[in-house]
Formats: sequence, structure tokens, C-alpha cells
Amino acid sequence: MLTVGDVFTSYGMIKALNGVTLSASEGEITCLLGPNGAGKTTLMFTIAGILRAQAGSIKFDGQSIERLSAAKVVEAGIALVPENRLVFPTMSVEENLEAGAFIRVAKDRAGVDDDIERMYMRFPVLKERREQMAGTLSGGEQQMLALARALMSRPRILLMDEPSVGLAPLIVEDIFQIIRDVNADGMTILLVEQNANMALSVADKFYLLEHGRVTFEGAPGELEQDEVIRRAYLGTE
Amino acid sequence: MAIERELFAKMVDFVQNCIDGIMIGAAYGLLAIGFTIIFGVMRRLNLSFGPSIMLGAFFGTWAFLTLNAAPWMVLAITIAGTVITGIYVERLCFWAIRRDATIASMVSSFAIWMQLDEVAILMLPGRTYPFPEMFVSGGLNFGPFFVRAEHLVTLLVTILMVVGIRLLLYRTTFGLALRAVSESSDAAKYMGINPSRITFLAFILVSLIGGVAGYLLLATDQQVTPYFGLWVTFKGLIAMMLGGMGSIPGAIIGGLVLGIIETQTQWYLGNAFKDMSAYVVLFLALVLRPGGLLGQGIAERQDLAFRRV
Repeated sequence: MLTVGDVFTSYGMIKALNGVTLSASEGEITCLLGPNGAGKTTLMFTIAGILRAQAGSIKFDGQSIERLSAAKVVEAGIALVPENRLVFPTMSVEENLEAGAFIRVAKDRAGVDDDIERMYMRFPVLKERREQMAGTLSGGEQQMLALARALMSRPRILLMDEPSVGLAPLIVEDIFQIIRDVNADGMTILLVEQNANMALSVADKFYLLEHGRVTFEGAPGELEQDEVIRRAYLGTE
Repeated sequence: MAIERELFAKMVDFVQNCIDGIMIGAAYGLLAIGFTIIFGVMRRLNLSFGPSIMLGAFFGTWAFLTLNAAPWMVLAITIAGTVITGIYVERLCFWAIRRDATIASMVSSFAIWMQLDEVAILMLPGRTYPFPEMFVSGGLNFGPFFVRAEHLVTLLVTILMVVGIRLLLYRTTFGLALRAVSESSDAAKYMGINPSRITFLAFILVSLIGGVAGYLLLATDQQVTPYFGLWVTFKGLIAMMLGGMGSIPGAIIGGLVLGIIETQTQWYLGNAFKDMSAYVVLFLALVLRPGGLLGQGIAERQDLAFRRV
């Protein structure tokens, strides 16, 4: 569904991605593991059109998207749940959801309202807090909101960047259960995660990213769990 | 009996000053809204906001002097001139300069300020020019109080504009996008919102607001000088800081408070103290309530801004 072919991305002089090739299949959860600075977020941003690839191709459903603007990528059906959630802190929960549907709210008001109700069914805590400012929610609630907000654009693939960061272990369990549920409804997910244990528990397939390159790919269980985790945190030295 | 009458006369003066202050303060509030909206979407101060209104007004007064334009034409030309200058400022100081280079764009907005002053002086050399009066004049008496017709128009137009701005921000897709960009331009981008486009439109919006406010102030004073730009930037910034950055109701309240304090000072201490009172009040407000009278503190706002990183 999503294929990344030999992608190079730099920040000025610093090369962050040195020819990354990977793919995410429809209906699956694909995990991207790797130590800090390996280029995981850079890859997410490159796919989402926030950063430009110097070389390489990104195809989504056969369509080349590497030259599209961030807005066009969202319209193509790719939504990003950013690291640290980045909810709009002084806007209400409901307004956050509306903002998530920005690309279609003018054309399809009724559909957006329906989707908001659907999000409230899936995340009842958001309904309770619909008038509340998003910045006053707990970390787990904010993560739910960020996920629901991304779903509001009706994407076909969800890019999730470090959904567990800064959350208590019990809440992380909840969030991953939600990720499983969303996936069970047919959503394709590309997940970047530091918490390799959690990530491997949901992944259909995973990639190890080190120094801007894919150094291993496989299904959970193909590599010794301890080895994956060690490399995911520390890299190969 | 005599004492009572004297006391009554003093009360009347005081209330009359408050009325005048509210009228002029309404226009200050509009200016403060202009600063607040741009600060919200850009996290930068646009120091050229005042001078671009001044230049718009110079276009207006130029049309009045050379083409003998009617008042409503002067209004239209002032607004159009402000919008064009505002777009120029946005392209040069904000669009062309990277989003994270806060100081660079503030300094360049200062440089553009000097440039706009020069353009105004080249266009109409000299110091003071007449600015045509509004289509209304005279005034109304309410018992012992008197309200100038220009002031009444200023207040009414301000109320209409504030209602309009609120509807625009809270009832339209553009408003949703503008608020999203103000909260986190990165997250807004992930939702498919284009922050540069929203910023551009925000500049047009505040130039419209500024052009109207500038016209109301100048048509009341009936004269314009190149210093009007400096004056607008000061009044707008002080009103914004008083009310609390990033809050529209705060901007209006800041404007009203500033207007009332200025008129009272002018009446009791004389004209020389009018501008000084504004600075004293700003200083006191910053020391006692750094977050402004209303809305979030600057510190918290900046904290939010930095948390995006």
C-alpha cells in the first residue's frame, strides 16, 4: 500500500536518511524500531510531505507522493499522529477534532459531525471532555485525542510517531489496545516506537532503522527478541 | 448647595472623560486585535503594523488633496492602501524569513517601518496634512453629557467589527485554521492546513481591521503626520500588553482601559502627561500583572510556543 524506495533526506548538511527502502501492507501494523537519531521521525516527516526527499520514491496506492505538499498528502489519505501528540492546547476537544477534518470540513459538514459522534463512541472519555480545553487533558487522553483527530481526515493509513512517549506503563497498554482496535477495523498503520516490547506485541512486520538505513526487516519472532530490543535501543556498534 | 453643585460638576467631568475614553479606546482595541492576531499566528511582533496603516492613510489623504475624493472614497483608499502595504510587509519580513528566525523578522519589520516612513515623506513632503472628516459631524447630548458623532461612529464600527471577527474566528473554516496555526503551526500542517497561506490571509485581515481603525482615528483628529505609524504601533502594543497577549477580548479591554486612562490624565494633568500615562500604566501592568488583565500570561503562551519543538 505504501512503499518507500531508496529515500535520501537531509537537514542541511546532515544526512538523516541514507537510502531507506520499506513497505507497509494494507491492513497491517508495520513497526519502525531504532535508536534515537536513527531517522525514524525524519522518515515519517518525509512520507507526510513535511520534509522533502532529495532522492528516492514514495508511492501510496501506486501514486507517487514524494513531490506532494503536506496538505496534498493528507488529501491522498495519509494522516500523521505526531510525537508528543501536539493537540491544540487552548482549543476544545471538539474543535481539535474539527481541525483534524480541515481538508473536508467545508465540503462535508454533515459527514464531519457524524465522524465526531463516531469518535465519541470509540473514545467515550473525549465525549465527556468535549468542551474542555485539550491542554487540560491527561497525557493518555491527549494521545487518544491526537489519534482521533488524525482519523478525522478519513485516512487510509495512519503514521504514528512514538505514541507511548511520556505515558505511564498502564496507559501505554491502553493506547496499544486502541491501536489494535483501530487496526482491527481495517486501518493500515505505520508505527514508530521506542518501546520495542510494546511495538513487537502489535506488529505484523517490523524494520530496524540505524544511521538512516534499514538494517533488518522481518516479522516478530524471526530475530531473537532480546537481540531486536538491544539493537532497537542501542544500535549495532 | 454650592459644594454639591461643584461635586456634581466634577462627577460629570469624570464620566464625560470615561465616555470619551471608551470611544477612543475602542479604536485602540481594534489596533490591539491586529497585533494580537499576527502575534498569534506568527509568534512574532509586526512592528510595521502602525506604519503600514500610516501609509494607507497617506494614500487616502493624497487622494483627498489631489483628486478631492469623497469621504467614503478616502475610507476605501485608506483600507486598500493599508492592505497593499500589509501584503508587502508580510512578503518581505515574514514570508521571506524562516519561521524560526524570530529576531530577524522583528528587526526587518523595523527596517520596513523606516522605509514606509520614507515613502510617506516622499509622497507628501512636509509634516502635517489635513485628513478629511467623516460623513457625519456634530454630536449628541445625553443629559449633561456630550458625544461626538465621530466617536459614536467609531464605537459602533468597532462593535460591528469585533462581532464580525469573532464570527470569522469561531464560525468559519478559515477561523478554525487560523486558531489551529496560532496554537501549533506544526500540528496544523499535519492536518493539511497550510500555515503560510493562513498567515498571508491573516495579514490581509489585520490590514483591513487596521485600515478601518486608522481611518476612524484620523477622521476624528482630521490630520495625519508620518508619526502616525509610531503612534499606532505604541498604542496598539500597549493595549495588547495591557489586555494580555493572544486574547481578543483582552485586546478590547486593554484598548478601553488605555483610552479611559489617557483621557482622564489629559483632563486632570494636561496634554503633556497623556502619552506618559500610557507608559506608566504599561510599566505598572507589566510589573503587577505580566500576563495582562485578561487571558493567558505571555510566559505561558511562550511556553506553549516552545513546547512545539
